This record gives sequence, C-alpha cells and structure tokens, in this order.
Amino acid sequence: MAASRRALHTVLYLLLLVILAWGLVPILYMMLSSVKTQVNMFSMPPKLIFQPTFDVYGEMFAGRGDFAEFLTNSVIVALVTTALSLLLGVMGGFALARGNFKREKDISFWIISTRMAPIPAVILPLYLIFSKLGLIGTTTGLVFAYTTFNLPFALWMMSTFFKDVPIDLEEAAMIDGCSKFRAFWRVAVPTAAPGIVATGVLCLMFAWNDYSFASIFTGNGTQTVPIAVSLLVSQSGIKWGQAMATGTVIIMPMVLCGFLVRKYMVRGLSMGAVK
Amino acid sequence: MLLPSMIVLAAVSLFPFFFMIYASFMDYALDMDKPRFAGFDNWKGVLTADTFWESWGRTAVYAGGGLIAQLALGIAVALLLYHIPKFRNLFSTLLMLPLFVAPIVTGLLWRFLLDPTYGLYNWFLQKLGMNVQILGDTAYAMPAVILMDVWEWTPLITIIVLAGLQTVPEEPLEAAEVDGANGWQKVRYILLPMVRRMIVVALLVRSMDILRYVDTITIATEGGPADATKIIGYYLMQVAFRFQDIGGAAALGLTMLIVSTLLGRFFIKVMRSEEA
Repeated sequence: MAASRRALHTVLYLLLLVILAWGLVPILYMMLSSVKTQVNMFSMPPKLIFQPTFDVYGEMFAGRGDFAEFLTNSVIVALVTTALSLLLGVMGGFALARGNFKREKDISFWIISTRMAPIPAVILPLYLIFSKLGLIGTTTGLVFAYTTFNLPFALWMMSTFFKDVPIDLEEAAMIDGCSKFRAFWRVAVPTAAPGIVATGVLCLMFAWNDYSFASIFTGNGTQTVPIAVSLLVSQSGIKWGQAMATGTVIIMPMVLCGFLVRKYMVRGLSMGAVK
Repeated sequence: MLLPSMIVLAAVSLFPFFFMIYASFMDYALDMDKPRFAGFDNWKGVLTADTFWESWGRTAVYAGGGLIAQLALGIAVALLLYHIPKFRNLFSTLLMLPLFVAPIVTGLLWRFLLDPTYGLYNWFLQKLGMNVQILGDTAYAMPAVILMDVWEWTPLITIIVLAGLQTVPEEPLEAAEVDGANGWQKVRYILLPMVRRMIVVALLVRSMDILRYVDTITIATEGGPADATKIIGYYLMQVAFRFQDIGGAAALGLTMLIVSTLLGRFFIKVMRSEEA
C-alpha cells in the first residue's frame, strides 16, 4: 500500500512538473531572450548558455527613446486611480456592508455589471464624452477610465471584507463613546487593513496591465508602458529584443505585488465569492 | 458614506450607458459634434451585417473552446495539487505567475514563441514535422489565441477550485475510505460535488472576462488572418475607431452589454445562493 502510494505521488509530481513547464517556460524564455544578443536570441536550437548582455535595457533607459516617460505615466495613472478607488471604495464598501438597504440587491448587481462590462463597450461612450470634455490624450481622462472598473471592484471587495469584521467591535467602541465615524476609522478600517491592501494591489494591477483603454485615451506624452509594447510592432517587423525586455519590465512589479497579496488572490480573483 | 461612490459610479457607468443608447440612434457620419437622428438605421445596419453574426459566432468558439479547456485543465491541476503531500504552496504559487502578465505582453510573447522563423515553439513543431505558420493560417490562428487565453487564465480556475478543495471536511472522505471507495470514486462523488460552487464561480468570472478583453488578440493576430480571430470586441473597436461608424458601434456595444449583464445577474445569484 505504502509503495503504491509512493509510486502514485511520483507520478503526480512528474505531471505537476510538466504543468509547471507549460506555465513558466514562456516567461523564463522571455526574460532569457531579453538578455541575449540578437544573434543568440534567434539561434535555434535555443542557446541556454551564453554571455548575457543588458544592452537592450541600457538602450531603453539611456537612449533617445521615451521609455522612462512611459514608465512614469504608468506609475502615476495606476497610483492615482488606485488611491481614488480605495478612498471611495473603503467608505462606500463599509456603508454597503453595514447599512440596511432596501435596494441592496440592485446596487450589487449594478456594481458587478459595471465591473464586468466588456472593455470595448465601455471605451466607446467614454470616448464620445471625453472628446466633448477635451479629455482625450490626458492623464485625467485615463484615470477616470480606469476608475470605471476599479471603483466597482474596490466597493465590492471592501464590502465583503467589512462584512467579515465583527460588528460587536464597533458597537463596543460606540458604547465607550466613539462616534459612528470614529468607530469606522479607528476600529473597522484597521481590522480590515489587509483587505484594503490586497484590494489596492489588485486595482494597481488592473490599471498597470491595461492596453485597450490606453490605446484610445492617451496621446503623445501621456502614453503608458503597454503602449510602448505595441509600438514595437510595425509594418517593417517587430523589435523582438526590446519587446522581450519591455515585457519583463512590465511583469516584474506585478509578480512582486502578486506574491505580496498571495493570500488574498483567490478572494480578489473570484470577486469575493470564495474566501 | 455610500453617496460619493454612487455619484462617481453613476458618472462613470450609468451616464455613459445612457449616452451609448442615445448614440445608437444617431448618425455621426457627417459631423462628429452634431449627430443627426437616425432612427433604427444603426440597429438595422448592425443586425443585418454578416460580419456581426460571424464575429459573435467566432466569439462563441473562442469563449466556448477557451472556457472548456481551462476549466478541465484548471480542475485537473487543482486535484493534482490537492493530492500531493508536500510543496503544495510552492507549486501553486509558481503556477500563478501567468495571471500577472499583462494580456498585451501575453499576446506578443506568444507571437514570438510561434514566430515562423525565430519562434521556440515553432521550432519544436518543426522538429515534430509540423510546418505551418500558426498565426498566419486561418485553421490554426483561432486555436492558437484560445491557447494563449488558456495559458494565462487556467491558474485562476486552479487556485479557486483548490481553495474549495482545502475546505472539504475529512469525515466524508474517511467514511468513504472505510467503505472501500477508491481514489477516483472519492474525487467523483465527494470532492467534485463539494466544490461545485467554486467551479461555477470560476466559470462565471472567466466568462465575463473572456468577453472583456481584446488585448491579446489585438497584438497577436489583429483579428486575422482573413478575420479568423475577429471576435466581437475586436470588431467593435474596428467599427468605432477604424471605420468611424460611431452609431453602429454603439448599437454593437449594447449587444455585448446585454450578454455580460446576463452573466453578471447569474453571478450575483450564485454568490448569494450559499452565502448565508
């Protein structure tokens, strides 16, 4: 019995290694290619042992290109939309979790359908409105555009996190003379702090990784990193070296963020339905 | 405290929504700033265009194929992880990595891997005797973009289902063992039924998301070759921003919203069903 179990486990581990290879080879290959010379990158069979070079990264940051500008734009837009969504979402989510709304079901439905609306179908009306308001090509416009999905996400997630905070804690604070707002600020918010961080990190990720909104709403000087990726593709060919390096730069911070809130990933990705 | 959020949410969601309904009855062709009333012309134009129905058809293939594949694979991997005695956290953390990759990077990365001259996976395929330009071939492009979606999002199903499996209580499993159930029977009759809700949640979240994004296809195939990967979202972007048919695009967008809203309604129902 023990022997057959051990054999079974060996098979399971081997299968998992295959799955792991399927998931990770593309990412590792991208990182590897980004530090290869052109000749090495294109040689088949692939070279696994080579002299690494960081020329492409050097060019991206030191050269005439505007990569630093793309990066700055991305960071600003992602941070501002996250701050805005969290600010409103934490307050609103708390109200949703604690209040007794007659129309709570309708509000939930509204929030979810806003969060999950197909991006092209959201871009179009925003485009019409932004053109009238002169927001096309501005950072403000893009921040608003990202808030269309980050605010409902933050509201929704924060209401599920606040529902987990025992209401007794706040009631005890209020008996001790705290105002309702103080009970929220000094008791509920600190208790739900990990949830706030996790929600914020996911908002950051959604904004950072977006290409579609940015492709329509940004212009010269306001473009974000995913646009930099698409600009490497042209009629005359694709700059593969830079593409692999840019890809690496885009995913690294998100991988770090992802690991940081690993515990809450399931909850965030299932829209709070699975804890 | 809810009021500020509701006002902002109304500004970024309800107002655009009604504006889109308005736009779907207007003609923007002559003057972007002063559209003329067009009645049902846009709707008629959209609903009678073959491309519209073909794009929805391709969307069905893309979403259907992608969802079935990632659901099957995702559940299988979750069960694998559930059954190993050690390193479960390490494996599941590493397997999550594709989830963090921006879809535009996924598209370009796979385009590189499948490149007919420089691609790593293309080289493998050639070694296996397959000599095709995957993304340039109408027969292979759709399976390839489906594969990209499966690569990126299978881990989402895996971690959600695994989270469910880890909450399955010991007793029924032990009882089954005493009754002589084998491993497969335990999976089939105890584990899977007990995580049914997680599976439905994962499937719904993914169905809404597969409709949402067009980034991967935009960079990997640009809807081609010969429209083979032109799904409805990509078609909408074309109608609006390449053909500049704003009214038609608005009507088209509303058909997408109807579908995603129905899925959303279903999601709320599932979320509430076993909550209390």
